[in-house]
Amino acid sequence: MSGIPPRLLGVLGLLLAFLLVAPAVLGKYGLSVLILVLYFAYVGQAWNIMMGFAGQLSLGHALYAGLGGYVAAGLFFHYGLGPWAGVFAAVVAASLAGAIVGYLGFRFSLAGVYFALLTIAFSEFTRLAFDHWSWAGGSGGLFLKVDGSTSLLNLRGGPVLFYYVILALAVGALILSRVLLESRLGRYWLAIREDAEAAQAVGVPVLRCKMIAVVISAALTSLAGVWNAFYYNNLFPETAFSMGRSIEITLAPIIGGLGTLFGPFIGAIVLTGLGEVFTDVGEYLGIPGIKQIFYGLALLAIVMYRPAGVWPWLAGRIGLK
Amino acid sequence: MTSNIRFTRRSFGRAAAGAALIGAPLPLRFASAQSAPANVKVALILPTSGVQAQIGQACRRGADVANDVLADMKIPVKLDIVNYDTETKPDVARTQAEKAIDGGAHMLVGAFDSGQSIAIAQVAEQRGIPFIVNIAAAPQLTEQGYKFVVRNFPTAPMLITGAFDLHKQIFKASGTTPKTAVMMSINDTFGTSMVAGIKAMFPKLGMPYELVDIITYDPAAKDLSVEVAKAKATKAEMLMPVSRLNDAKLLVQELVKQRWEPMAIMNPGSPGLYEQDFLKTMGKYGDFAISNVPWLDPKSAMTQALEKRHLAKYPNDQLDINGGFTFEALLVAAQAFLDAKSTKADALMDALRKIKIDQHVIIGGPIQFDAKGQNVNIKASAIQNLKRKPTVVMPEESAAAKLVFPAPGWNDPRRT
Repeated sequence: MSGIPPRLLGVLGLLLAFLLVAPAVLGKYGLSVLILVLYFAYVGQAWNIMMGFAGQLSLGHALYAGLGGYVAAGLFFHYGLGPWAGVFAAVVAASLAGAIVGYLGFRFSLAGVYFALLTIAFSEFTRLAFDHWSWAGGSGGLFLKVDGSTSLLNLRGGPVLFYYVILALAVGALILSRVLLESRLGRYWLAIREDAEAAQAVGVPVLRCKMIAVVISAALTSLAGVWNAFYYNNLFPETAFSMGRSIEITLAPIIGGLGTLFGPFIGAIVLTGLGEVFTDVGEYLGIPGIKQIFYGLALLAIVMYRPAGVWPWLAGRIGLK
Repeated sequence: MTSNIRFTRRSFGRAAAGAALIGAPLPLRFASAQSAPANVKVALILPTSGVQAQIGQACRRGADVANDVLADMKIPVKLDIVNYDTETKPDVARTQAEKAIDGGAHMLVGAFDSGQSIAIAQVAEQRGIPFIVNIAAAPQLTEQGYKFVVRNFPTAPMLITGAFDLHKQIFKASGTTPKTAVMMSINDTFGTSMVAGIKAMFPKLGMPYELVDIITYDPAAKDLSVEVAKAKATKAEMLMPVSRLNDAKLLVQELVKQRWEPMAIMNPGSPGLYEQDFLKTMGKYGDFAISNVPWLDPKSAMTQALEKRHLAKYPNDQLDINGGFTFEALLVAAQAFLDAKSTKADALMDALRKIKIDQHVIIGGPIQFDAKGQNVNIKASAIQNLKRKPTVVMPEESAAAKLVFPAPGWNDPRRT
């Protein structure tokens, strides 16, 4: 872990220790909130590789999560294939989808909002296809059998099991992101993000690097989809591939700090925390939907006053830079 | 390394404001929960914001008057109903269920939608807290072997079978049977499920008419002229729409514009045609359309009490099945508490399994749950829009008005 300030390492160690014992010290509600934090931190980290590092805006990342979830859950439901085996098929399916989207976009020089539109289009027509695909349950949804047993092998069990799985995924994604960012590929990504034409001019293989970013991001996101499918035990195309789901994936890294390692974590904590606080405010006031107004205003304030995200500012304030 | 931490008066002010913002709701919520002396605490988990907000709020209105209706009916229970919002998201539904149980809820009620209800069901099962489903039609909800879940709402196959059975009753009662029908369906989750279900079940139902075509359209459609023209060209005698609210309006507007007067506009179990906004917007053209759905029994004293209380509290909102089924779910909770004489989860669940409520609000037999937790006594009813009001016309024992079939033409003087 060269290059990380010792103080930051200490804080990370303490945080990890807390996260490891959290199920024992938090109530069930607290644990369910922490699960949401880790889930959004993880998917945010996966999205951050593509947008934050390589500068490619995807607004259709629900495609990869949905595909991952459907493939693993479908194999489990129809053939009894456990999720640890199904996850490989899920990763392959999502990576392939990512490669198709990426190739179409990058090969034909779609950039910025045009590339984002392409990602939305793929997510939308995949949703429509799944609406009519009876193997995946169609629009009526795919339901996994809930039997009350606990089995890590089949990802069956209570919130504590899923908590540790998502914690492992989140920590793994953080380490992978750090390794990638410090690698030659990571440097290439940053160069492409800043100026793709200049990067190409100095010999960076832009198309290949962008493709790798999309495929890694899609593959990681598909793991979240698998986790999500087995945690909630049901999948509907309307929610699995929804635009709203795609936007949710982007929020944590944007609020936390785009292109930073800890931004998705901080963003997930801020967003989920704010969400819970404003839910309480809404419940107290008894006005349905008031939460969304407060939440929107809070996001607006963060974006206006901390345009680079919360993490860069926070790290400077508490001396963790 | 130098520290950047500076603690100034301004930063203290910011911190204090933040702490107040974060901390304030918790004691306030606690105070709110303490304010009503009640026998049993019920968490009402509904999508009152997000895509399903309108329906979630209609459900909540039924719950808001529940204690008054229970008092009117001399049912000696006061429910401490604590509201939770799912934001129309299964993940939030799950978190809210955990929060409700941590907050001391003895029973959970919700959540209008199958995905959200299943998320809550898993929490209920893991925590051993009874969950009463008010509205959710996915059969899987009561096919998973859950021990703490009961559902007082028909499954999707029950809805379809009940609706087609009513078609036959309507033809028999009126002495008029169409020979052909065309179905027009919205292409969303609900519509696609209905189309798939009807395609599978129709050949086995022995219907007296032929289904000549099924025409689907996009939920975002702003114009249905092509689809209606196509349906008209089939020369079908009856139109069966599977719609939501806005497309139901577009559909009828287009029927009037194209001068197509089918013998009946009769849905096989879907919303849209009976909704308040449809009736207000369509005026006389909305009349005589028939919906075959579960509905409130106008002859039940409890329904009358519910309608009275609902009208007094929400004079601008129509009481519909969303409010009706949510009220009934709370009635089930109240009765379970009375029977169990305890707030312990096992006792409540035991009472729910044995429950039998003869007097309730939705048309059908007594509320009872089978071994899977499903109430199989709910009956579909034919609701015909008469004088801008959805009115029960079938089954005859619950009918509040006489069926008008075939429907009068668009310019018939009976449409006023």
